[in-house]
Amino acid sequence: MSLWRNLYRGETEFDFVRHRRRFFLISATLIGISLLSLLVRGLDGSVDFTGGAIVESPNQAEVDVAEYRSELASIGREGARVQIRTERDQSETVVIQTEALSVADRNELVNTVAAVAGVDTNDVNINSVGPTFGSEITRRAIEALLIFLVVVAGFITWRFEWKMAAGALAALFHDLIITAGIYSIVGFEVTPATVIAILTILGYSLYDTVVVFDKITENVHELGTRHTFTEIANLSMNQVLMRSLNTSLTSLLPIGSLLLVGSYLLGAATLREFALALFIGIAAGTYSSIFVASPLLTEWKEREPEWQRMQRRVARRSGETVLTAVEAASASATEARSTGATPRAPKKRSQRR
Amino acid sequence: MNRRPLWISLILILSLAWGSAAAMLGAGWEPKLGLDLQGGFSVVLAAPEGIDRPVLDQAVETMRSRIENLGAVQEPEISVQGDRRILVQLPGVEDRERALAAVGTTGQLSFRPVYDIQVISPAFLDGTLPLPESLAATTTTAPPGDGGNETTTTTTTTTTTTEPPVIPDDIDPETGLSLDDDPTKNVYLQDDGGLFYALGPAFLTGADMTGAEPGFSGVGIGSGGGWTVDPAFTAEGGTKFEEATAILSTFPSGTPGRQMAIVLDGSVISAPQIAESVGFGEALPSDSVVITLGTSDDAQQEAEDLATVLRYGALPTTFERESEGSVSASLGSDSLRAGLYAGGAGLLLVALALIAYYRALGVIAVLGFTVFGSLLMGTIVLLSRTQGTTLTLAGVTGIIVSIGITADSYIVFFERIKEEHRRGRALRPAVDYGFKRAFHTIVTADTVTMVGSVLLWLLAIGPVKGFALTLGLATVVDVVVAYYFTRPAAQLMVRSRLGEGGALSIRGAMGRPATGGVAT
Repeated sequence: MSLWRNLYRGETEFDFVRHRRRFFLISATLIGISLLSLLVRGLDGSVDFTGGAIVESPNQAEVDVAEYRSELASIGREGARVQIRTERDQSETVVIQTEALSVADRNELVNTVAAVAGVDTNDVNINSVGPTFGSEITRRAIEALLIFLVVVAGFITWRFEWKMAAGALAALFHDLIITAGIYSIVGFEVTPATVIAILTILGYSLYDTVVVFDKITENVHELGTRHTFTEIANLSMNQVLMRSLNTSLTSLLPIGSLLLVGSYLLGAATLREFALALFIGIAAGTYSSIFVASPLLTEWKEREPEWQRMQRRVARRSGETVLTAVEAASASATEARSTGATPRAPKKRSQRR
Repeated sequence: MNRRPLWISLILILSLAWGSAAAMLGAGWEPKLGLDLQGGFSVVLAAPEGIDRPVLDQAVETMRSRIENLGAVQEPEISVQGDRRILVQLPGVEDRERALAAVGTTGQLSFRPVYDIQVISPAFLDGTLPLPESLAATTTTAPPGDGGNETTTTTTTTTTTTEPPVIPDDIDPETGLSLDDDPTKNVYLQDDGGLFYALGPAFLTGADMTGAEPGFSGVGIGSGGGWTVDPAFTAEGGTKFEEATAILSTFPSGTPGRQMAIVLDGSVISAPQIAESVGFGEALPSDSVVITLGTSDDAQQEAEDLATVLRYGALPTTFERESEGSVSASLGSDSLRAGLYAGGAGLLLVALALIAYYRALGVIAVLGFTVFGSLLMGTIVLLSRTQGTTLTLAGVTGIIVSIGITADSYIVFFERIKEEHRRGRALRPAVDYGFKRAFHTIVTADTVTMVGSVLLWLLAIGPVKGFALTLGLATVVDVVVAYYFTRPAAQLMVRSRLGEGGALSIRGAMGRPATGGVAT
């Protein structure tokens, strides 16, 4: 049977947990590189965070924003914010905000703007501008984020258990650090849109991990008396693998389209930065929910005396057999047949909460 | 299984979603677009020369709080420009003056003793200023028929002209009004009704207040009631207020001395009198003070705006408006169009992938997208019209991303059906039981995201707040659509010909032959 058929039927038998140390090593390396780059190179904040220069000039030629943007892009300033202000007397002024400039860059910018606007360079005013996404917004956002994490951890602990909350948060930091790291390594500009994108990843990463943990919890209740935690975790991940892949595909399709159609074909630079952060973040989120969160949880759970006893029992009983999806399916099928295959109410889960 | 409730649920949600979408299109309602997509209004506020940078930064934060308190999410952009200017950009054009007032009003509030109230500035009467010619005529004709008085006035005028007093440079010699509202000095100020007040140094100022609430009161102090602002004082401010009223209540009823003027940005808002029933030297409790603004429709908005200004404190300096004008979108229609095309293309790809993979169930998912999209847009348009919420490019992209989140709910459900079927459940129970389990997962996962967005919305400011709103709405709509649309649709489909018949059916998507399942 081909891999695809197995995937389609949810009958894959990947042993995710056995190779967990290898995955941890990969993730640790990526996180290490990201942190190093964040420390050494830092992030390149856009004018919204750092402030910069604001250039104003009468728009004598009466050209539109798009014209200015393409001219600015040709001198490497595609990140600049261009607006046209209509004054009370109906005259137009072009307003361009960009990062802080060296003298040479400043002259180049002034010359370009003057040429497009059809005015003398002396009519172009240049001034400094402070951040619109200032320290206060950043501070409040970080505060909100910390409280958010505490509440989410509380929620997962209540719904599942605290070790799962820890695993989910670990996966979350994994995704955030790697996304930020890629921004730092490649030197992409961080805009408010990027911040929003990263917040989206946050929600996404948690969502993904919660779905996997939900499955593990369910399987523990159904199979926890006969199998080790490793076996159950492996089974759960194989069962949700198709879901994870499909979900990533359906999430990456619109974002990929945003990236390709939006930014490269139609030339909207803002969309590119936004979509890129999401693309990286969601890919990392899918990876971490399977290869980081659950293996980490397994590592932890197998150390519990309860699961250690189970390990010894299973080893005594069957030597080398490992629970596979097929076996589990036939096991529950037998079970289902004997009970007449009618849907049963889910088992009460109160004892685990 | 009774199919009727399933049909009812399906029909209700479809008519709600598609009906509201059609209604919006028909009425031409669109969400308001943000600054980046539609442009808006721009004004530069200039502070006096030589202002310190921290003072400007503080002013920016005060302005932002005031703006955000006006509407739900307006996403203004406020930044310091140069060394003494603040650049404020607001999306949209409605209520522009009100928004500008909220940013530009200094908001210096003081409570002052009243020395005198006249129809011309008391500064001309107490000898601080010479009476200008134009006003001298009115004063002399004011009490007509009394020759003696006329002479006296004339004499006074003559005296002052012959020996001109030192004209204080903080008083306008023409109007007799103080040029600035310095809380430590005696001032001459005017109210809306044209009355002139001589006022003493402030008992207390806005700095002695902790907050303010707008309200409507039947009876205010010394007036007939109306829209009010109810200030709350700090402990120290409360003491100051009580001490002040104890002094005022020593004046006889009906004299200006018994009044306390409430002054905002150099203009007397009201000057309530201490009620007659308050005995000599008795203090008013500071928690009973209200500022009454009258009963007109404007007064309600005035009360709300004043409360906002008081709540977020005074600006640390005064600002002058410079270079006002409307600004174009910074991204322009090309970016929006690019975003929408990309969203459309992405949606199409997702739809194709889901149908290819899940066959008939995929069609449910695609129909579900239209329900999800209509409900989400409907809510955003509604918020936009009632709360002034604006949609920025980040918001548009957030909606595109939410396609992925809602697609996940279908995938969780459909994979669950496959799994239950593989375990030996017949198709119908697999759908019914599969939904129960999948819904549990969907609700848990959506709750995590929703908790996050509610917290972000409550705690964050600026663009983050707008994002949290869109995301939070999307998760709520996702749960609603899963329960009221996806569930009945899948349960009805599995009981129809599409459930069993051929490769395109639900069974066709199960990945195993029909004989593999165990029929009930």
